[in-house]
Amino acid sequence: MAHDERRRPVWVGVATFAVLIVAWFALTTWTSTIGPGRFPSPREAFDALRQIWVQGYADARLPVHALHSAKLVLLGFVAAVGLGVPLGLAMGWSRTCEAFANPTFLLLRPIPPLAWIPLAIVWLGLGDAAKVLVIWFAAFVPAVINSYSGVRSIEPHLVEAARTLGVSRRRMVTEVLIPGALPMIFGGLRLSLQACWTTLVAAELIGAIAGLGHVLYQASLDLFPAMIVVGMVAVAVTAALMTIALDIVERRAMPWRRA
Amino acid sequence: MKRHHWTFAAGIALALASAGALAQTVIKISYQPALYWSLPFYVANEKGWYAELGLKPEFSTFPAGVPQIAASASKSWDVGGAGSVPAVLGAVRYNLLTIGITNDESYANALLATGKTAAGFVKNPASIKGQTIVLTANSTGDYAVQSCLAKWGLKKADVTFKSMGQAEVISAMSSGNADLGGLWAPNTYTLEEKAGAKQICSGQDAGAAVPGALMVRADYAQSDPQNVARFLAVYLRSWKWLNAHKTEAIAMMKKFYAQGGVTISDAAMRKEFDTRPTFDLAQQLKIMHRPGANGASEVDGWFANIGAFMKANGTFADAPMPSKFITDEFLQMVDRDPKLKAFANRAD
Amino acid sequence: MAQGLTLRDPTAPLPFARWLALTVAGFLAFFAVWWAAAASGLAPPQFLPSPGAVAAQFVELTHTPFVGYTLQQHLASSFGRFALGFGLAAAIGIPLGLMMGWFRALDAIVTPLFDALRFVAPIAWVPFAALWFGTGIGGPVMVIFSGAFPPCVINAYRGARFVEPRFIEAAETLGASNWRMITEVLLPSAVPSIVAGLRVSAGLGWQSLVGAELIVASSGIGYLLVRGQANISTSIVMSGMIAIGLVGFAIDIALRLVERRINRQRGR
Repeated sequence: MAHDERRRPVWVGVATFAVLIVAWFALTTWTSTIGPGRFPSPREAFDALRQIWVQGYADARLPVHALHSAKLVLLGFVAAVGLGVPLGLAMGWSRTCEAFANPTFLLLRPIPPLAWIPLAIVWLGLGDAAKVLVIWFAAFVPAVINSYSGVRSIEPHLVEAARTLGVSRRRMVTEVLIPGALPMIFGGLRLSLQACWTTLVAAELIGAIAGLGHVLYQASLDLFPAMIVVGMVAVAVTAALMTIALDIVERRAMPWRRA
Repeated sequence: MKRHHWTFAAGIALALASAGALAQTVIKISYQPALYWSLPFYVANEKGWYAELGLKPEFSTFPAGVPQIAASASKSWDVGGAGSVPAVLGAVRYNLLTIGITNDESYANALLATGKTAAGFVKNPASIKGQTIVLTANSTGDYAVQSCLAKWGLKKADVTFKSMGQAEVISAMSSGNADLGGLWAPNTYTLEEKAGAKQICSGQDAGAAVPGALMVRADYAQSDPQNVARFLAVYLRSWKWLNAHKTEAIAMMKKFYAQGGVTISDAAMRKEFDTRPTFDLAQQLKIMHRPGANGASEVDGWFANIGAFMKANGTFADAPMPSKFITDEFLQMVDRDPKLKAFANRAD
Repeated sequence: MAQGLTLRDPTAPLPFARWLALTVAGFLAFFAVWWAAAASGLAPPQFLPSPGAVAAQFVELTHTPFVGYTLQQHLASSFGRFALGFGLAAAIGIPLGLMMGWFRALDAIVTPLFDALRFVAPIAWVPFAALWFGTGIGGPVMVIFSGAFPPCVINAYRGARFVEPRFIEAAETLGASNWRMITEVLLPSAVPSIVAGLRVSAGLGWQSLVGAELIVASSGIGYLLVRGQANISTSIVMSGMIAIGLVGFAIDIALRLVERRINRQRGR
């Protein structure tokens, strides 16, 4: 019974949220068990949402913040994937390449991306470039590691077979290595995207003109719990949408996995 | 506020206290490291003055005023010091009372420019229009900067503000990635001495009074008023001593600032003393005195301006009435008790 | 993160001498690029100190206190917070994951909530963490917890869900109670998955800690970074980064050893 693809009944999920919302009302609006300074009532959260949607908060309206954040994540993510996946593939394929690149990788990998923020500011200033650099660090590591493991996980006899058939180097890469490593690569991309997102919020918390992290930063400076909740929900929704988009790309890229 | 209750309770407590056999009561004190007005907390502890009044201080430090205010909600501290902007925010959000003034830091909150641009901006302040200014939003530094802009006839919309922590402001300006920044001491000195920046306008220059606030949680004020009065007496005595013993004071300041990671010259530390007036018991009572039933004290006026600034920033819809959160009740308690009063005025 | 690079079985290993030469060359190349960038004056030494200057600063920080403590003391304070947050995440997350793998109703209730919360970046909890728990121990611990918790739950859950059905059937025919089913059937089979989850969880927790300390703490290694930055001392910032990296690396190695040991024991 623990095994079959269990369907979670939808109504249970809906009921859970309904209970939560009732509890939220009960604890804040009806009984004031949780004071307004600690957590907002639904009413306050709704007002905050309306404020940021209509008049804007922290210098812009909600969609502008979300788009700005999404743009930075995308830039950092694409740059990291563009460099990380080929490097990972090369390290997976060639022992020489691995031995040479590994030390740098070992040195940089354990440093959390956020720790680069102070350096990024003095090197690249306050613009988007510094944030993209920090995001790049976050996404680069999972992209490399998973591409590397992806190549290593290809059945050796597949490569042998291709070799005995005398396929060209180019076809080896495009028809054996990449398709073979693709499932792992996508696993890595998913981690990369999540890391990008986490890091961006932190980078923006430290100073930006627009962006969801900036909304959170401003709301925390104003001690505005309702807006903090709105900001957190916006962060979650945007991140979920990006993950769904990646899922769609993944399914397109690997049609053979659909079954 | 049930003032007579406090007074009554305080009377009993003080009677007990003067009867001797004082038990040490814990008081949780919050401050920010490496700031001028925090120095008395450190000095008093080193000298053992809290213990003399039966207090056992437990310190917690915060990197900035806002998290400090937020932490009062979880009762992480009872009394403490912070900038006036956080104090007003704390009054609105968490019923914090302002019970005294740490210092007049009008000169210490300022707009700085990088070395190569400062002269140009000073000669022609109108050229600041269109520039980007990096600062910590909703801080006393922000207040000083906006007051300076107003003095030059500039509006907030004439410039671009980028909000970030003080460490980032320092990074951005020292690396030449920003030309203008709003800071407070000792960060101003760090930037001047290590990156050649120049202070081009302070709150004082702009005619904006920037006080620092001593605060207490309202429920703590109600339950332990006598501790609050003792806390004030210790703080006042520390300033008396610091001002009377400059050389030793500078030495302790050096140690205290180093603990917060700030290494500035002795000259800059001396300048802190010279440019930031502090208030003894009599002076505190004077600036906080409200003439008549509805009169406003000098301090009320300062905080009303700060409230208006925060309202214009969009922090809240209505600024709080100073009379609602500023009280000299505890200073009065010190003043009425001969033993505490003598203690607060000791310079040794 | 995922699998380490060097520990995988080499299919066509390089001769040791060649491997060593390449690795040494790799290290040298890294430091040569750094050194050249610093020496070229690309950035002033104030903002890009040479490797030597950073090494000297690092050594100095280990015996001369900065912001009140030496480097080791800062690390100890950070590590204490980390251990608390990570321990809490494991202590709550693993049992929760296992129970979700066994009780359908719990799964149905918790999963939607969990999926909704998972997308909130751990750092986004910082403002509330300060509000609810202060900035001393509680706030940072909550942020670490929110970073470390999801992998604990997910991996315990997966581990429990993919237990061989015949084990469960066997236990069921023997009339095992829910409690025994979870502790004696699901838990042992889920251990490899759980340990793999712990490694991911520790990595994320350590990163979240640094984020929390950069923003709201007044002690610890992240705070050292901020104060170094405020004092215009890039070499202190870089020393702090190296220290963070070393500890993160050590945590990962420790968990990897545990993982290998467990896998070896089970392999027999």
